[in-house]
Amino acid sequence: MSTMSNEEYNANVKAVWRVTGILAVVTIVEVVAALIYPETMPRLLLNFFFIVMSVAKAYYIISVFMHLGHERRALQLTVLLPTLFLVWAIIAFLWEGSAWLNLRSIWH
Amino acid sequence: MSTTTVNQQNEWDGGVSPMNVGYGKMMMWYFLVSDAFSFAALLITYGTIRFSHIDWPDPNEVFSAFPFMGHTHLPLMFVSFMTFTLIMSSVTMVRAVQEGHRKNQKGVALWMGLTIIGGLIFLGSQAWEWNHLIHGGMTIATPWSQLDHHTGDVVYTAPKIFGQLFFTITGFHGFHVTTGVLINIIIFIQNLRGVYEKRGHYEMIEKVGLYWHFVDLVWVFVFLCFYLL
Repeated sequence: MSTMSNEEYNANVKAVWRVTGILAVVTIVEVVAALIYPETMPRLLLNFFFIVMSVAKAYYIISVFMHLGHERRALQLTVLLPTLFLVWAIIAFLWEGSAWLNLRSIWH
Repeated sequence: MSTTTVNQQNEWDGGVSPMNVGYGKMMMWYFLVSDAFSFAALLITYGTIRFSHIDWPDPNEVFSAFPFMGHTHLPLMFVSFMTFTLIMSSVTMVRAVQEGHRKNQKGVALWMGLTIIGGLIFLGSQAWEWNHLIHGGMTIATPWSQLDHHTGDVVYTAPKIFGQLFFTITGFHGFHVTTGVLINIIIFIQNLRGVYEKRGHYEMIEKVGLYWHFVDLVWVFVFLCFYLL
């Protein structure tokens, strides 16, 4: 809670506007990609691009806006490590969804 | 913090704050972790159900309207505007936190005020989008259907679950935005009354800021799942 020096303040303000620029550009690139991506190319490639870009946006929001990048290591780990469970949840449930689709196509 | 006489070989032995954040801020982080799991559960449900369907509506067709533009086909334009509004209100929130570090009461008031306006614009936009979709026939009980741009005939009918998931997830997110705006208004008034000036620190701005950024963070993934993929 210490008051920060003027220099530190200016550096922080600059960092925030830089990240604002990054987030805005990434969002614009995503929308343009969604609109101009040719239908003949594999959809998987575009989806992979969207996911990578969204994770990048999430990284900047958490690290800079929420300031987690400058917190103690212990706080960073207790916040971030539990979300690793989600990696398994995503794999398991999407797998389940595909199996369900398979059953549907057998029954119809 | 009171001085301690315990033998401090390890900072986790007590008497100090090993994470170097206040109790309230730390618990806000852990609340957000649990809330992230709620949203993840909803979005993973969306993914599972989508994977289990042979057909799914094209977001470029579902979300192609813009206020005051009539039937002009403008795919993703309105939701991009909403995304941009939320990003900007997140930026003004960071600025409010930074002014709080400088104990600049007026600066906090200015940037918090802009954050509240951004939140209200987002909520208004979402209300418009819901209203548009509901009048277009998509509700939790009736499916969205794609019309031919020229003849107006129904060319495709989406699974009913698409609308149910859309209204549940954007609704849960919108509910978070609503409470975020209310909390921001409370903190805005408290700041004007000089509560934090008297308290000597503006940590409360950081706590509500964390919640507000989280709402923006969730929107990144809602935007990804519903509008991009």
